[in-house]
Amino acid sequence: MRFDGIVLPDRARLREAVDDIRKGRGGISLYLSLLGLLAGFLAIGCIFLLGHAHTTNTSDLVPWGIQITTYVYFVLISTGCTFVNFFGHVFYEEDYKPFASRVIFLGIVTALAAFLSLATEMGRVERMYYFLVSPNPASPMFWMSVWYLAYLAVIVLEYINIRRNRHSQAVMWGAFLIAVVTHSTLGSLFGAVGPRAYYYSALLPIYFLFIAFLTGSALCAVVAAVEWRKTPGDDSPLPAFFTTFLKIGLGLALLANFWRLMIGLAGNGPGWEVFRLTLFDSLFHGIFLAVVVPFLLSLFIRGPGGMIFTGLLILATQFKARSDLVAGGFKVPVFRAYDIPAVVQYTPSIFEVLVLIASVSLVSFLYLVCDRSGLFEPIPGKEA
Amino acid sequence: METREDILEIMREDLKRALQKTRSERRWGMAIDLRRCIGCHACTTGCMSENLTPPGMRYRPVREEEIGQFPNVSLRFLPRPCMQCDSPTCTPVCPVKATYKRDDGIVMIDYRKCIGCRYCLVACPYGARSADVGHYYTGEMKKQTYEVENSGEYGKVFKRKTHWHSPIGNARKCHFCIHRVEKGELTRCTTTCLGHATYFGDLNDPKSLINKVIAKANTFRYREEVGTEPRVIYVV
Repeated sequence: MRFDGIVLPDRARLREAVDDIRKGRGGISLYLSLLGLLAGFLAIGCIFLLGHAHTTNTSDLVPWGIQITTYVYFVLISTGCTFVNFFGHVFYEEDYKPFASRVIFLGIVTALAAFLSLATEMGRVERMYYFLVSPNPASPMFWMSVWYLAYLAVIVLEYINIRRNRHSQAVMWGAFLIAVVTHSTLGSLFGAVGPRAYYYSALLPIYFLFIAFLTGSALCAVVAAVEWRKTPGDDSPLPAFFTTFLKIGLGLALLANFWRLMIGLAGNGPGWEVFRLTLFDSLFHGIFLAVVVPFLLSLFIRGPGGMIFTGLLILATQFKARSDLVAGGFKVPVFRAYDIPAVVQYTPSIFEVLVLIASVSLVSFLYLVCDRSGLFEPIPGKEA
Repeated sequence: METREDILEIMREDLKRALQKTRSERRWGMAIDLRRCIGCHACTTGCMSENLTPPGMRYRPVREEEIGQFPNVSLRFLPRPCMQCDSPTCTPVCPVKATYKRDDGIVMIDYRKCIGCRYCLVACPYGARSADVGHYYTGEMKKQTYEVENSGEYGKVFKRKTHWHSPIGNARKCHFCIHRVEKGELTRCTTTCLGHATYFGDLNDPKSLINKVIAKANTFRYREEVGTEPRVIYVV
């Protein structure tokens, strides 16, 4: 099987792209990504060399910080890309085909970006082999790792199939179903934590899937709109299904957010006051800015420009929502005492922020370089 | 009236008796008499020196709780070790079985296995677990011998030389000084308690002092509603 130019960028064109970058013709987004990647990897190096004590602001009261937020954010986007690929193929076969390889490629690179961030959060990342040596089937985290391996394998296979124009329904269905199982397991990882009222919910696995669809649709819409704007002399409108996916995603996010908030507010036990403490964030950032405003924008602003703005707004507000979700679980300490703050605050360190930047840059850099190398163009002799 | 030394001697005898049994026949437990706790933090300090915990990490902090509502308010000292729950929430979530419950009820951490994911910290309803991220009292460049010494926790050798050495990067918590107990010594917090408020022993031994203390007084277990069945019993 030939990979060069089909599954991986063509060597000659990759060399051209690298030359362009060297000569300053890479474009601002690519240079920003490169800068972000360099700064991010420098920070990651510091985290591994200096240790968490000197680089991170997590504590016993806030054990998971922005790196876990970044991880959750990117894996949900990755799942969303798999969902877009599935629904695109099922409902909009011909319209969707030109975007298929980009969408599933984004699914792969966002998953890689998520794992990059996760690796920097682990205390002893070199011991990950214990997942194989000493597995604990009772732990959602163990199952998450199992499903992630399967998920990565199947989306890579789906990508290879798409690029070779040998699309398989079975692999596509497999990718969809494994994505559902994998990311609902991630939801259960949070949802099964009984002592944390903010996490503990049977809704969380479903919430994660709904949000995944929204964020994945948003990223795919942005990429498709950017691509559409680049096509010279093409005045045809952007395929409507991207807007449809966004609207459905926003509806699902509203449903999940609203009921999670209502049920949380109705709770009356230790720790449930966190829903009242975070009410403004949930209503203003989580619902108004993250759902209502993008929905109105999608109604009134047409064209690729509007789509890019709406998609980016969704991606930004959803990152804030993920951060609120992860940090929200630690806002009210599980053990109340006079000498423990009633409400715990967490501010990420510069190193932690740079890990987020590294993950974002990794996705954009890989995508832009592969795009410049013509990886997403139809392959002569392999067109449908 | 029994002196502090008498009480410690009785508990040592109880300990000897318990150690003659097999591990699965023992059921280690702790009773803390809150009426006697004076909030001196001697248990915390003793524990920190015994287990050589880094700055900010206390296996057994003494928390201060406000009881009641104004104007009927009082302050209570509440030492909080690991509750060594019979139905712990921290062990099932560990993806690699690095934390587990031993036959005698001690919730252990295998520092060689722990991947530092901190899921157990998130799952513990008592906030009894800490992440050792690698702080030193004297800073990374000037760390002193006592900071890198072997604490002997779990009866094994662990030296905090650099952040590549366990237990740095691991979850840590109180383990009822199991390395001392197995040698016939009481837990450090029990021996350093000035108000003799801490009792340690085998809950399966009806003759043990801890069982007599529990039987005589009003007791409660912290956050029992979460179903963890803690083995630390507070006397009020």
